[in-house]
Amino acid sequence: MSATNLKLELPQLTPEAEHLRQEVRAFLAEERTSGRLPPAEKIGLGFDRDMTRRIAARGWIGLTWPKQYGGKERSALERYVMNEELLAAAVPVGAHWVADRQSGPVLLKFGTEEQKQFFLPKIAAGDLTFCIGMSEPESGSDLASLKTRAEKVPGGWRVNGRKIWTTNAHRAHYIIVLARTSTVEGSRHAGISQIIIDVTTPGVTISPVWSMAGEHDFNEVLFEDVFVPDDGLVGQEGNGWNQVSAELAYERSGPERWLSSFRLIAELIDVLGPDTRTATLEELGRLTSHLLSLRQLSLSVASMIQQGKSPNVEASIVKDLGTKFEQETVRVVRNIISSEDLVSDGKAERLQKLLYHALTYAPAFTIRGGTNEILRGIIAKGIGLR
Amino acid sequence: MSENLEFFRDTVERILTDTLEYDAFLHAELSDTIPSALIAALIENGIFLALVPEELGGVGADLADGAAIARAFGDAAAPGPLVETLAANAILAAAGIEPVEGLATLSFAGGEAAVPAVLHDVPWGGVAEAVVVVTRTANGAQVALTKGSDWTASAGKDPAGERRDCLTAYAGTPVVGTIADGSAPLRTASLLRAAQQLGAIEWSFRRSVEYAGERKQFGREISKFQAVQQMLAELAGHVLATAGIVEAAASNPAETLVAAARSRLGDAADSTITITHQVHGALGFSREYALNARTRRLMAWRDDFGSIPMWRVALAAQYTGLSRDKFWPAVSDAANAAA
Repeated sequence: MSATNLKLELPQLTPEAEHLRQEVRAFLAEERTSGRLPPAEKIGLGFDRDMTRRIAARGWIGLTWPKQYGGKERSALERYVMNEELLAAAVPVGAHWVADRQSGPVLLKFGTEEQKQFFLPKIAAGDLTFCIGMSEPESGSDLASLKTRAEKVPGGWRVNGRKIWTTNAHRAHYIIVLARTSTVEGSRHAGISQIIIDVTTPGVTISPVWSMAGEHDFNEVLFEDVFVPDDGLVGQEGNGWNQVSAELAYERSGPERWLSSFRLIAELIDVLGPDTRTATLEELGRLTSHLLSLRQLSLSVASMIQQGKSPNVEASIVKDLGTKFEQETVRVVRNIISSEDLVSDGKAERLQKLLYHALTYAPAFTIRGGTNEILRGIIAKGIGLR
Repeated sequence: MSENLEFFRDTVERILTDTLEYDAFLHAELSDTIPSALIAALIENGIFLALVPEELGGVGADLADGAAIARAFGDAAAPGPLVETLAANAILAAAGIEPVEGLATLSFAGGEAAVPAVLHDVPWGGVAEAVVVVTRTANGAQVALTKGSDWTASAGKDPAGERRDCLTAYAGTPVVGTIADGSAPLRTASLLRAAQQLGAIEWSFRRSVEYAGERKQFGREISKFQAVQQMLAELAGHVLATAGIVEAAASNPAETLVAAARSRLGDAADSTITITHQVHGALGFSREYALNARTRRLMAWRDDFGSIPMWRVALAAQYTGLSRDKFWPAVSDAANAAA
């Protein structure tokens, strides 16, 4: 496209991707029929180890990874299609989501041969859950100001510090911690490293941070003189910032950035039935047009990534727009429930439950994984404003 | 992007650059004329025949090519019934009627009559040599080609200062044809208008980013202020999302995608007007400044060829009545659905 240097391509879904879509839909139908996938009553990635194992049994975790590490060597577009099908159905993928999306790819790109051989097949089998130790009490958007330190000691590293908002730390096996390992004059980004730590190591204390949505997903993770052997270092010492930047890019433009409140629309449409007031149709049509345009954009970015391009600004735009759409969905659905009087009609018991959870969950959409203000800063830079 | 599409875009952009002075839109508005050099060049290069099949004497390009042409028209804020003529010829051809040589306009009318007693709000209705009237019938669409001179026009103006006329007292004999796919003419016209809007949005965005880098206040470019950056980053989202859905609809003009494109554009146009003027400050409010040639057209075009609410209702109607687990397949298969 012509405006500034933003790029867009008409996405071309391959026959393989569409074939996989049908396989996933068949899997979902089976899961629903057997009662293992009831209609969602909550927003957010559910955590269900058995579901993760069933997905792993299909070969769908680590789908794009080399076969030697338990992967299937399928394309990123196929993975994209699989994920949008799973997320739109609110399949509880929380037990493998982070490992599949971030930790695995980081190990694949920067890890040692031993690390790859040890971790990746276990992730692909659905046996290992990872969490990410980035945010700290004093370091949120300004991640480079982190205070967690890893000191070199004989045979390994000694880690001290505190991480927070660590999703699933209490259910995970490993945490990849971002810590300062050295100080480089004049650079805040140099001297930061990624270290992989078994959460059962002595000195690691995990305590819950309950969310306003009534969930215990977040945790505070305290590291007190935690010894990590040398083989826990991921990639090069001091290169953590670059590694994390690549990692964060993976998580910006995927379907999880615009499908979080999708079930709310699906449930609403189910409850509304065929006879709906014009004003409601107009609101619903507007919402759906945003959904369709976001999907088109998100697919376009996935398509460009598949071709080896780096649409970083475009990916940030997907996350900015997608997360705002997720919040807008909650607002619009709430208004329609009120204007159609669905609750007093007794038709909306599950929908109302889902709405209440969504209302309390929604503030997180535009914060997690990088606030929208930070994203817009990245976009502003990308279009040449700074 | 197909080679054809690039060729059409480059040709039209060259014609626009060669024939339009920087203040052409203002001159056209104040003198109530259409730039004749532009029209002559577009006719000479067969641009208005782009969407007419070769066997009817046209170029045989597809709608994605047509959208690229309309996008360039919108980008340049080129005055006149340009998209109307492009669309009118495509619709005439679909009804088996020969294309017109000069400028044409379009009106979508209700009722049974092929030529109604009155046509309201017709873009350039009193100026175009041909007025193509489309009505829906039980079996599809009826297309009537009328001569502009056979109507009595009372002139009006849209927010961009372009003609919007009311036509009455038709005193001619129309050439009438039919199209089996009754909603196809509206989809074609609507999609081309959408692409034209997109062009105007892209120009406004691009110019605002440039301007923010030029304009200095408090000793630095206003692009250095976070408040300005955040607004333009938000606009970048509207631009990219709109471009994506308009391009998708242009390559597959199914009802769902055209409706989604027009609905999404409604919001993008509103934000473009607000944000680009905010970034430009007082300057953008001056009639001489080129920004408002685009933003006023966005105001005028917003509800053309199917209003935004109409398209939104049409889009929602594709999904109501579905059970909770059928909604996603309907959404995700939209891009593959046949036109």
